[in-house]
Amino acid sequence: MSRTRLSPAGRGSNDADARLAWTLVLPALAITLAFGFLPIVWTFWESLHLHDLRMPWRGRPFVGAGNYLEIVADPRFWSALGHTGFFVAATLVIELAAGLLLAMALDRVTRARGLVRTAVLLPWAVPTVVVALIWRFMFESPGGLASTLAGGSRFAPQTWFADPVAAWIPLLLADAWKTTPFVAILLLAGLQQIDRSLYEAAEVDGASAWRRFRHITLPLLMPALLVAALFRSLDAFRVFDLVYVMTGGGPGTATEPIALYTFATLLQHLEFGLGAALSMIVFVMAFVVALASIRLFGGRAFLERSA
Amino acid sequence: MTSAVRCLLAGVMCLGAACAAAPERVLTISGSMLGREGQVLRLQLERFRRAHPDLRVALRDTPDAADQRHQLYVQWLNARVGEPDVLQLDVVWTPEFAAAGWIRSLDAFDPPTGELFASAVAANRWQGALYALPWFIDVGMLYWRTDLMPAPPDSLDALARTSRQLIAARRVPFGFVWQGARYKGLITAFVEHLGAFGGAILDEHGRVVVDSEAAVRALTFMRDSIHGDGSVPSAVLTWQEEHTRFAFQNGQAAFMRNWPYAYALLGTRESQVAGRFAVAPLPGGPGGAPAAALGGSTLAINAYSDQPDDAYRLIEFLLQPEQMIERARIAGQFPPARGLYDTAALAEALTVPAAEARRIIEAAVARPVTPVYSQLSSILQVSVHRALTRQEEPRAALADAAAAIRALLARLQLGEP
Repeated sequence: MSRTRLSPAGRGSNDADARLAWTLVLPALAITLAFGFLPIVWTFWESLHLHDLRMPWRGRPFVGAGNYLEIVADPRFWSALGHTGFFVAATLVIELAAGLLLAMALDRVTRARGLVRTAVLLPWAVPTVVVALIWRFMFESPGGLASTLAGGSRFAPQTWFADPVAAWIPLLLADAWKTTPFVAILLLAGLQQIDRSLYEAAEVDGASAWRRFRHITLPLLMPALLVAALFRSLDAFRVFDLVYVMTGGGPGTATEPIALYTFATLLQHLEFGLGAALSMIVFVMAFVVALASIRLFGGRAFLERSA
Repeated sequence: MTSAVRCLLAGVMCLGAACAAAPERVLTISGSMLGREGQVLRLQLERFRRAHPDLRVALRDTPDAADQRHQLYVQWLNARVGEPDVLQLDVVWTPEFAAAGWIRSLDAFDPPTGELFASAVAANRWQGALYALPWFIDVGMLYWRTDLMPAPPDSLDALARTSRQLIAARRVPFGFVWQGARYKGLITAFVEHLGAFGGAILDEHGRVVVDSEAAVRALTFMRDSIHGDGSVPSAVLTWQEEHTRFAFQNGQAAFMRNWPYAYALLGTRESQVAGRFAVAPLPGGPGGAPAAALGGSTLAINAYSDQPDDAYRLIEFLLQPEQMIERARIAGQFPPARGLYDTAALAEALTVPAAEARRIIEAAVARPVTPVYSQLSSILQVSVHRALTRQEEPRAALADAAAAIRALLARLQLGEP
């Protein structure tokens, strides 16, 4: 929006240009403001009030940081945050590792490439709620697939979703099953940008397969890996539907992520003020992570990808 | 083709006529349309229309799940919407809606409460005034297998003992099944165990007593019957009503705690226990009396409705013996009128023996009458489920829950003198 004088003809035409520019930009700007910026400001304003829909007699008094203080003092918030962090870390490790293996396998496919890639992407195309229901049925009942397979094992719990530790296993498996293909496709694109002659040269020099992977594939794949990691962690941070359907955050609140806690506060308990404060916290955290990643990895990774 | 066009034209004309007649007021009602409930309500509204040609009545669709209907009502009433005029409420919502000023006191209409079960009426009073009328009664019942034992157990201990014996003899894989998932049904099962051990969530003065010794014993008993003697399968920790019904219906369980709706379904051809089960009051435990949770639905008038008199006429109509007996016959729901249980008409309509039903209802206890029941329930759902899944000792879990409930009540200046 810097105003540079282009012509000596005077301000008049410049102002007219500027006015035209503003007029043209206005609709887009208005939409962004109305649907992007305003809700955030509104949520922030709401988060400064005590507003419980079930208790209209309390009104909607301004409480300043009251809701935020209540959240910080709430152990359920901190454990939800811990669960979210664990989910992000665990799924990131599983999906990047499995995705890399899958991508390298796909890279070697020479026949029916399109078909194979489409087939691999199928789990990703299935709606999350459907995925969650399928995996829940497999683990739910004593006669379910998982319990039957793990039958004799004394390590298998009787009821997966009633065990605070075992309940994580179906959750992580379902998420990995659904999103590994997405990671693999991102990485496959990265793999295919690597110049084949580098491998040929390394082979001539007698480098082992491991060394070729370690010193050619991995460094050159780094931008793609970082992009996949960023996408996945932001996505995993918002995890909601999978947990909502599979465990409902239980047993107790042992698998409750922050998004589900926010949902329960806002839409089940109808505590709008408190829920708005939680939403702001989640928003700020996701925003900071996104900003930091872009700073850290530089816009480069993105520019290269989009180029 | 031409007939389709004619239909379309007729439709458009009807629409036009409806628009022209728009100023006419429509009385609206909303409630559960689940299963056969929708069928019976439609039937009765049609009859009401014929009896009151001056009134226009319409159904307002709401979600089937009670929790979601509650959310929707709260959002509507916060926005001061006058529709639906007549609301079907779960009995535990009445104090909440009354305290919020969302429903109208019915005392002005002088309803005939003397004919109804006193406990069902008491649950609909808030600060001395009556805010809703019981429509039908839901009550926890013990379903037991007549082919596995001669008589139902008379105590929770006897029930556990029989369960263990039947499991050991490989007659059934599961002993007693109840609703143990982390949802409102868990608190119903918990309240029933509490009563059986002589405990409660709130005492008669509204003080929090959910961390009492009796309550700790009740919760410990529940946990140990899952993880200790195995008379209750651990699968119940993820089960709601229908899961338990399927287990019992497939012959997998010796006992089940469930609502009356299951009775008719267990007698159908798909059921493997048809003709081999009966119901009894839930047994008491050491130090307590048998205590079934009293549930059910009530009818209330929206405080923002501009036609309360017509709304009451509809409520009055739905509570006539004819309608109640029809509802019992089609949906299997128990009427709230005590006198009906002596009539041949009800005995013929109900699948559950009427005398048995009346005995179970009279032994039932109301859940706490408080405007924050749903909050208490949410707090307890987490604590009780944590204890049952062995993440916390029952005593610690109940102490946490009691502290949270006390803090909530203190903040709202309710109870806790």
